[in-house]
Amino acid sequence: MEDAPPRLTPLERAGRWLGLSALIIGGFFPFIWMVLTSIKTEGELQKFPVQYLPSALNFANYAQVFTEQPFARFFFNSLTVSLLSTVLAIVVAAPAAYALSRLNIRGRGVLLTVVVAFSMFPVVSLLVPLFRLMRGASLLNSYPALILPYAALSLPVAILTLVAFFSSIPRDLEAAAMVDGSTRFGALTRVVLPLSAPGVVTAALLVFVNSWNEFLLALSFNTRLSMRTVSVGVTLYQGEFAFPWPLIAAAVVIATVPIVVLIAVFQKRFVAGLTAGGVKA
Amino acid sequence: MALPSQSTSLPAKPHRFRREPSEGWLAVMLLAPAALLLCGILLFPMITTLRDSLFVNKLTEPGLGTPFVGFQQYVQMFGDPRFGQALRNTLFFGVLTVVGSFLVGIPMALAAHTPSRLRGLARVALLLPWAMPPVITGLIFAWLFNGQYGVFNDLLVRTGIIQEPLRWLSTPGLAVAAMVITIVWKTSSFVALIVLGGLQGIPRELTEAADVDGATRVQSFFRIILPMLAPSLAVAFIFRSISAVQVFDIPYTFIQQAPAQGLLETLGVYIYRTSIEFLDFGYAATLSVALFAVSLAVTAVYVRFVRGGD
Repeated sequence: MEDAPPRLTPLERAGRWLGLSALIIGGFFPFIWMVLTSIKTEGELQKFPVQYLPSALNFANYAQVFTEQPFARFFFNSLTVSLLSTVLAIVVAAPAAYALSRLNIRGRGVLLTVVVAFSMFPVVSLLVPLFRLMRGASLLNSYPALILPYAALSLPVAILTLVAFFSSIPRDLEAAAMVDGSTRFGALTRVVLPLSAPGVVTAALLVFVNSWNEFLLALSFNTRLSMRTVSVGVTLYQGEFAFPWPLIAAAVVIATVPIVVLIAVFQKRFVAGLTAGGVKA
Repeated sequence: MALPSQSTSLPAKPHRFRREPSEGWLAVMLLAPAALLLCGILLFPMITTLRDSLFVNKLTEPGLGTPFVGFQQYVQMFGDPRFGQALRNTLFFGVLTVVGSFLVGIPMALAAHTPSRLRGLARVALLLPWAMPPVITGLIFAWLFNGQYGVFNDLLVRTGIIQEPLRWLSTPGLAVAAMVITIVWKTSSFVALIVLGGLQGIPRELTEAADVDGATRVQSFFRIILPMLAPSLAVAFIFRSISAVQVFDIPYTFIQQAPAQGLLETLGVYIYRTSIEFLDFGYAATLSVALFAVSLAVTAVYVRFVRGGD
């Protein structure tokens, strides 16, 4: 998108600059405020007017996050659950998306509508029956108790994103490979999959972010402290009446870092992938 | 149906027949894992919920057993003032936050679409609220809105808009406003992403042509860009409406900190409390069916839109 910048009046230039700064400040401010809060002492926080910058860098809160709760364990749990549900969702979604975009299936439109409908199940409505299901299968307080629902809940959006991507790859490329003696499977692995890598990355990020952020099922299914995830973990620092904000802020920052890193690294590809998939889906 | 591509690929066909399973079988095999996961984890529990809504099942009163009561719990629901309040809250927050997320999201998308050296940073700023865990968003904003040391109070006092810090979370009306602002911050990103996708699909020549014809930027925004964004806006609107109806995490975190609970309780939170705190699984199932019905109504609009768009 390196087009020549359109001619702008000074007023328009100012407007654009204002809009961009508002977007950047608005998006980052709450997170940055948590970072600042996390390195303040309790005393520095209880000042009004607010003292914006801490007088000294104080990382004691970060240490306390790990000693007061097994936060390293929460982090490991979240990482495991999110990665495995991402793998499961992609492994299941990719063949389905391939079939929906490439094969001559009767009722393809209906199937796609059904997939969309599945993305509209209110999770809270599934809480009790899923709880029973997991208890029946003796899966409470285990990774699969979260991996299975997370993969299932993200499956519709993963399928829709991948369908959009597969559909954008010209069929002629596969046909050519098959003419050259490749099997359909060979055409899939050697032609379609490499070309749809951006779509797979987008879908995988969607599943990962959804899984990392999920709260309700994690709160209800994995109640043992050693099986908690970070989204539940950050809520465990508040007492009955007290909110140790510097401590909570530090936990929030640690819990958000993977998301911020993923977004920063993949922003270009991710926005392209989301916008390509989102509007068509 | 699948579009016939220009290549009729004559030589490929005999090939396929010779060594591969029929397309029907292939389709079934490729779709089966997804169907299994969706039906096992989402559809089956939903059907169980439908069934549960017809039985009394209170863990707090095990003496009752689990008798079949038909639609009695539905009758109970319609007479339940707390359900009425939760439904009204849900719809109220829904309308305000959906409208709010468009009012904020569209300018966000326009700003992020601007060619600029800051584009990368702008994209991260756009994605961050969307990717932030909702519970954490709730915690962060509860802190920003803190009644004594909150930064929003500080900014308002420094600029002279208010004299004394406001007790945002413990004043009912202000708590509602605080929650709406939080949800709008969190969800505007989603609208912006979809709109950004729409903007990138608009050929630059169109606005340039309008420019040459002497249209102002405001005119070309309302006459050219906005109409071309209509499909994106419709998609964003439907998905935002569904997520707005089901909102849970942010109200849940706010309620922990705000005494104005009744005004903040959404249907999702009421279902959660009925099942987990009051252990009334039968009635929770009935409430869940109600929430699902509301979601379904929105879905129906979506399906109509998709069909209509084809």
